Amino acid sequence: MEKAPGGRAALPFDPVSSQLRVGLEIHQQLATGTKLFCQCPVVKSEELPLSFERRLRPTQSELGKIDPAAVFEFNKGRVNLYKWNPESSCMVDADEEPPHPPSKDAIETALLVGEMLGSRAVDEVHVMRKIVIDGSNTSGFQRTAIIALGGTLTVDGFKVGVQTITVEEDSSRVLKEGAQAREYALDRQGVPLVEIALDHVVGYPERVEEIALSLGRLLRSTGRVARGQGTIRQDLNVSVLGGQVVEVKGVQKLNLIAKVVRYEATREMGLVRIAEEIKKRGIAEVECRAHDAMSTMKKTASPVVKRIVQKGGAVTCVSVSGFAGLLGLEPFPGIRLGKELAEIARTNGLGGVIHSDEFAKQGVTEEESVSLRALSGSDSRAGLVLVAGETRERVETVASLVMERLRMAPTGVVGETRAATDEGETRYQRPRPGAARMYPETDIPEIVVTEEWRQSLKSMLPVPWKERVAGYSKKYSLSEEAALQLYDSDNAKLFEELASKLNLEPSVIESILVEVPVRLSREGVDESKLNPEALTSVLVAIDTGRFAKEAAVDVLRAIGKGEARDVEEAASKLGLSGMNDEELSEIIDVVLKRNKKLLHEKGDRAFSVLMGEVMKLARGKVDGKKVSKLLTQAVEKSS
Amino acid sequence: MSGLLGYRGPSAKILTDAGATIGDILEVESDGEKFSGTLVPRYEHDDDRHIVIKLKNGYNIGISVERISKVVRVAKGEAPKFVAPLKVATKGLPRVSILGTGGTIASRVDYRTGAVRPATTSEELYSLFPELSEIASISPEIVMSVYSENLEPSHWETIAKRVSEVVADGASGVILTMGTDTMGYTAAALSFALKGLPVPLFIVGSQRSSDRPSSDAFLNLVGAATMAVQADLSGVYVVMHADSSDERLAVHLGTRVRKNHTSARDAFESMGVEPVAYWSRQGTQVNAREPPPPRGKAGGFSAKPRFDPRVALVEFFPSMPTLYLSAILESGARGVVFEGTGLGHINGKNIETVRKFLAEGGLAFMTSQCLWGRVDLNVYDTGRDLLNAGVVPLEDMLPETALAKLMWALANTRSGDETKALMRENVVGEVTTRTVQRR
Repeated sequence: MEKAPGGRAALPFDPVSSQLRVGLEIHQQLATGTKLFCQCPVVKSEELPLSFERRLRPTQSELGKIDPAAVFEFNKGRVNLYKWNPESSCMVDADEEPPHPPSKDAIETALLVGEMLGSRAVDEVHVMRKIVIDGSNTSGFQRTAIIALGGTLTVDGFKVGVQTITVEEDSSRVLKEGAQAREYALDRQGVPLVEIALDHVVGYPERVEEIALSLGRLLRSTGRVARGQGTIRQDLNVSVLGGQVVEVKGVQKLNLIAKVVRYEATREMGLVRIAEEIKKRGIAEVECRAHDAMSTMKKTASPVVKRIVQKGGAVTCVSVSGFAGLLGLEPFPGIRLGKELAEIARTNGLGGVIHSDEFAKQGVTEEESVSLRALSGSDSRAGLVLVAGETRERVETVASLVMERLRMAPTGVVGETRAATDEGETRYQRPRPGAARMYPETDIPEIVVTEEWRQSLKSMLPVPWKERVAGYSKKYSLSEEAALQLYDSDNAKLFEELASKLNLEPSVIESILVEVPVRLSREGVDESKLNPEALTSVLVAIDTGRFAKEAAVDVLRAIGKGEARDVEEAASKLGLSGMNDEELSEIIDVVLKRNKKLLHEKGDRAFSVLMGEVMKLARGKVDGKKVSKLLTQAVEKSS
Repeated sequence: MSGLLGYRGPSAKILTDAGATIGDILEVESDGEKFSGTLVPRYEHDDDRHIVIKLKNGYNIGISVERISKVVRVAKGEAPKFVAPLKVATKGLPRVSILGTGGTIASRVDYRTGAVRPATTSEELYSLFPELSEIASISPEIVMSVYSENLEPSHWETIAKRVSEVVADGASGVILTMGTDTMGYTAAALSFALKGLPVPLFIVGSQRSSDRPSSDAFLNLVGAATMAVQADLSGVYVVMHADSSDERLAVHLGTRVRKNHTSARDAFESMGVEPVAYWSRQGTQVNAREPPPPRGKAGGFSAKPRFDPRVALVEFFPSMPTLYLSAILESGARGVVFEGTGLGHINGKNIETVRKFLAEGGLAFMTSQCLWGRVDLNVYDTGRDLLNAGVVPLEDMLPETALAKLMWALANTRSGDETKALMRENVVGEVTTRTVQRR
C-alpha cells in the first residue's frame, strides 16, 4: 500500500483514483572531460564567432508515412543556424566528419551506475541513431546506446523500478527561436549524458521530487558526473486515467518538479473534464471549418486583430459546432482549451488566438461575432476561434493545426511533447513523435562488455551517499540538515579542502559555502557571481580576522549584486576592517559604563542586551564569539 | 529478410537450434533475465559470440551467447513493407533522367529492423523530394551498383553509352548519382567521352549518408534537377555543396574538379579555376567571366565512350626505386601519367627507366602533385632531361584528369603521335592557358 507523503498544496483530485502516473527520466552530464564522440573539451563558449546553416528533411518510415513530428518541423520551412567556437566544437559536431569511437569513461560510468542500481548490463553496446528533426542535432539524429536494463532505486523504503540506463550525446543549445529560423550554440552538442528512465509511479508530486533528488544524489556519489547549473535535466512522462502520455521536457531545477507535476496533472484532468463536457453536449465528432474573416474584421477595434489588418495580414475564423462556452471553460483555475490553442499558435510564430468565449474581453463586438457566425454558417452554440497573423501561409497552417487540435478534444489528453517553464508550468512544444525512430549508427563498431570489465566495476562502487552525509555530520559536527545541504551542493569538495586548511569552525565554512548562497539566491542575487573564488576569499578573510563572519553575508550580497568585484572591494565599500582586542575592550568598557544600572539590576540577564549593543558598535568587525568571551570576562571583572 | 545474415559459429548455432531467422521476434533468457525483441542482422566483421536483438523501444542490444540459457521464437518476422505514397509529377514537365551507379542519393530506413535501403523508383524519389514533382518528370534507373572505388574504365564506357541513349530519347538533362570517392575521375572520363553533349550532365553524390535528415544529398539533387531543366548549359559537371551550409551548390567543370576532403560537404573543389556556376534556391549564378557552353541541338551528338585501361598513374616520391617504376611500366601499361614534384620532376635515376619505356613505344606525361600551378619542364635540368627523354608536359591538367584522358585518348587514336597530340589539345577545358586563379 503506497503511503502518500505529506506535501505542500494538494492536488485538486486524488492521484490514485485518477491513475496519475509519472515516469521520471533524468539526464545527467558526465564529467569525462571530453565529448562523447570526439575529443572536444566540454566548455560553454561565451563567444560563438563562426556559423553555418542547415535544413533538416523528414525521413520516411518503412510504411511510407512520414513521421508527424518531422513533418511538423519541416512544414515550418525552418532554417537552423548553428553558431560555434573552435574551442568547443569540431567537424564531428558539425556533421562534417564521422563520429569517433565513444568515450570509454562515459560507458564505464553508466555501467557503474547500473551496478549500483542492480541493473543488467548489456553484453555488447550498440550505438543507435535516434531521429531528432527539430534541428537540435546537426545530423538530424541523436547518438544513443543502452548500457543496462532493469534495476531498482530505493527511496526511503519506497522502491522504483529502473527501465533503462543509456549513454547519449547532448544536443545543441537553443539561442533564439524565430518564426523561420532557429539559432543554436553548437558547444553543447556531443556532451556526454547518462539517461536513467524510471518506471512510472503514482504521481504524488513531492514523491516524484524526492525520487529525483535521491537519484541525483546517487549519481553524484560516483564522483564521475558534472556539477553546476544545467548539468542535470529532468523529463517527466505524465498521464491520467490510463490515457495518453504527455512528455514534459527540461525541468531544470529540482525544486520545480513537484510544481510541474501538479500543474501538468491538473491540466490533463482539466482536459478530461472538458472532454466529458463535450460528450454531455452530445458531440461525438467535432465539426470545424475555417473561413477567411478579413473582410468581416476589417474595421475591428480589437487591438490585436486591428494591428494585423493594418499591416495587411490575414485573419481566419475557425468555427466549431457546439463549442460555445467550452473554449473558455476552466475546470481548474488557468486550465482552458483556449489556452491550448493559443500555445499552438505561439509555437508557430503567431501571438495567440482569440476565441468566442473571450470576444468581449478582447474587443470583438457582438456585431462582429454575429457576422462571423453568419460567415461561417454557424449558430450561437458554436465556438469561434480567430487566427490572425502577418502572412496568409502561417495563418492557414495554424488554423489547420487549431482544427486538428479541436478534433482531438473529445479524447481528452493529447499525447504531445511539452516544455517545462521556469514558473513550474508546462507549454506545448511539438507533437509527440511516433515510436522512436532508431537505426544502427553504422560508423561506430560495437563495444563488448567483457566479464573482466563487469567484475572490475565491483571495486569501483562508491560510498553510498547516505553514508557520506552521515560522515560529514560526524566528522565536522554538522547538523543532519547542514550535512545533507553540503552533500547536495557543488562546493562539497571545496568544503573539505578549506576545513583542513583554515582555522574556522566547519559550521562556519558550511554556512558560507552552502547555506548563505542559497539564502542570497532566494533574495534574487546572481548565484553565479558567488563562485568558489569569491567564497574562498570570504572565508580566508574571516580566518585572518579581516572581518567577522557576521559581515560575510553583506560582503557576499554586495558581490552577488555586482556592487563589488571582489571581497576587498566589498569590504572597503562596507567600511569593514578587522578590530583588535584593545579596540574591542574599549567598546566593551563604554557599553558597561553606559549600562551600569541595568547590569546591577538584571545581572546575567542583561547580558544579551549588552551583547547587542557591543555588536552594534563593533559593526560586524568582530566575531560574536570573541565579543561574548571578552564581554563575559569584563562583566565578571566588574562585579 | 531471411536467413542468418552475419551470424556464424556459436551465434548461428544457437539461433538455428531455436529455428530463428532474421526478423523473428525472440524471447532470450540470459542469467535470469528475459529479453524480448526482433532478431536483427550482424555485421560480418563482428565476432560470432553475440546475438543482436532490437528491443521494443527501438534500441539494439548484444547478448553474449555464453550467457544465454534459452532462446524461444515467439513470432515469425514480417517482411518490411516499403510502401511509397504515390506522388505523380505535374504533367508536361521536361524529362530528367537520373542514372544511379551505386552511391545512394536517397535512402529509406526500416526502423523496425534498422535496415537502410536505397530509394530507387520515381515514386520513392518524389515522396522524398516533393519539390521535384513540380520541376521535372524524373526517370530514375539503376545502371549499376558499384562502390565508386571499384569502378573500372569499362563502367565509364557503360555510363557514357547510357547517357548518350537517354539524351537521344529526349531528356532535358541527365543526373548521374555515384559514390563520391572517385567522382572526380569519373567526371573527367565522362567529360571526354561525352564531348559535345548538347544538354547538361550533373554528377551528384552525398558526403553525408542519405539516410540521415541532414544529408547534403537533398540539396544536391534538388539543385541538379532544377538546373537540368532550367539552366542553359551543356557539358559534364559535378554538383555538390559549395560550403558547409545548405545554401549554395557549386557547379564544377568535370575536368577540373577534385575531392579535397575526406568527409566535408564541400569536399569538391574546382582547381585552378572558379566553379562554372553557383546554384541556390534564389537561382543560378553563372561565372560571367567564362560562361559555360549553352545547350546545343540534340541531333548530331555522338559519344566516344571507349577507354583503354592500360595506363599507370604514378605519384613520384623521393627515393622512388628504379625497380619500382620499371615493375609498374612493365606490367602492361601503354602509358604513364606522372605526378611529379614541383614544376614536374622525378628523380634523376629514373629518367633512364622512362627513356627505356618510351623507346619501347610507351607514352609518358607529366603533371604535378602540387595540384595547383602549371608544370614547366624548361626551367630546371631535371625538367629538360625529362623533355629530352620524351615526356610530354600537360600544363595545369590535374593528375586524375590526365589519367582518364590518357585512357580515353589511347582508345580513340591510332598512333602514339596522334595520342600525344590529342593529350596536348584542350578538349573540354581540362587545361587553362592563363593561370589567373592562384588557388
